[in-house]
Amino acid sequence: MSLASLSLEQAPPISVPFRFFLSAPLFLLLAATALLVAGPVALESRWSTALLSTTHLLTLGCMSMVMCGAMLQMLPVLAGSPVPNPRMVAWAIHLPLLAGALLLCAGLYLGTPLLLQLAMPLLIFAFGTFLCIAAYSLVRAQARNASTRAMLLALAALAFTLVLGVLLAGGVAGLLELPNILQLVALHANWGLLGWTALLVIGVAYQVVPMFQLTPLYPRVITRWLGGILFALLLLWSLYPLLPQPAAGILSLIAACGLAACITVFALSTLRLQHKRRRRVPDVVLQFWRIGMFSLLAATLLWMAGQFSTVLSESTFYPLALGILFIVGFALSVIHGMLYKIASFLVWFHLQGKLPSKEVPNMKTIIPDTAARRHWYTHLASVLLGLAAALWPMPWVYAAGVALFLSGLLLLANLYGAWNCYRRMVPKA
Amino acid sequence: MTKPSDPRELDARGLPPPEPMQRALETLESLQPGEQLRMLLHREPFPLYNLLRERGYTHRTTQLAEDTYEILIWQITPE
Repeated sequence: MSLASLSLEQAPPISVPFRFFLSAPLFLLLAATALLVAGPVALESRWSTALLSTTHLLTLGCMSMVMCGAMLQMLPVLAGSPVPNPRMVAWAIHLPLLAGALLLCAGLYLGTPLLLQLAMPLLIFAFGTFLCIAAYSLVRAQARNASTRAMLLALAALAFTLVLGVLLAGGVAGLLELPNILQLVALHANWGLLGWTALLVIGVAYQVVPMFQLTPLYPRVITRWLGGILFALLLLWSLYPLLPQPAAGILSLIAACGLAACITVFALSTLRLQHKRRRRVPDVVLQFWRIGMFSLLAATLLWMAGQFSTVLSESTFYPLALGILFIVGFALSVIHGMLYKIASFLVWFHLQGKLPSKEVPNMKTIIPDTAARRHWYTHLASVLLGLAAALWPMPWVYAAGVALFLSGLLLLANLYGAWNCYRRMVPKA
Repeated sequence: MTKPSDPRELDARGLPPPEPMQRALETLESLQPGEQLRMLLHREPFPLYNLLRERGYTHRTTQLAEDTYEILIWQITPE
């Protein structure tokens, strides 16, 4: 049986995913503003308040916002198990996530413990609800495939990320005494980026890459093993703080090499599938994925180099470049690309149910290719300028900030255009 | 009941979504009473089923190969 079974029969109302999709670009705008206001000081150290805030605006505000919305949309249709009361669930997740992310990022930027304390219950409620609903939906699902398995692992990784994040926020807000904050930060970042983000992207890629980019299916050996191995290696890596040296160092190195190998296999096989696609027409979504995969490979190479060179791993450039390559280069590229396909398709599909076929606009006109391409150039510029800023904060941080702001603005305009197209057409029904 | 003639063929393999669905819906509108549509696709078109049901059609899907599906579609006629 094919892995790809994307059914919209039990799809939630279109407003459910779109509220998440339309909120995400606002966080890109805020992240860019935080960089522009703070200036080069933001990039002096990975611990600068402006950078911590910017990182969470991107990961929590933008990425997780889209990931939760897309998962609520895809879970019932991939797993064949509808989300109960989707409209209410969407309210219960979206609003506290929005408010919690804003408060947390403001708290990090301003160094105000009270804001962090206010953010915590909201984020615990938002992600707690999301985790319960998503896990419930996946566990009682009839369809078990590589995508649903990877999604379940991604949810477990999100749960770890959340617990670690709450502990860290408690420590920063002065509510908890943390024994080793650096190890907790590393665990929080790795579970969030390599677990929640990469596992979800991998699970979703198994479906959307062959379907939307008209490639062959991912090889069975990859879909069967990759997600589980990646998760197991993350667990193994997480044990290193418990071990004495040198065992801890050896374990950490072995797990890191294994994780890098998993990520490389995924990136290379995706690029290979794209190379073998059935129709070689120019496609901006494919281009977004290419930035994503090349950035992922570059991040992995840099990470591996850092494992063997303390000069590199202790430099200010290293964590900044890793973050830019993984978060902006990989995760945001893939998310932007998928958003364009998913948003246009959802508008087209929901209109099909409401209007005679002839009156439904062509999917390609819902978000025009030229508009998405303009965003692609701006997004690519934000990755490259971000890397330049990691090396030379002055003056490149300003250029990177402007590019990120424009990228957020174009994403917002394009997604709003799609939403508006739906709203304009629906009264005709 | 009219005897089903040879079904109308629609090979939508290699077309990006939602073109296969779009073409199927367009072709269905031009079918003669009793005529069937035979579609070939790389994957099973779950979203299409919902639209077919809403429009009074039914279907039978057969997987011919790992990445080839045959979907036979016809109008539901009142008993």
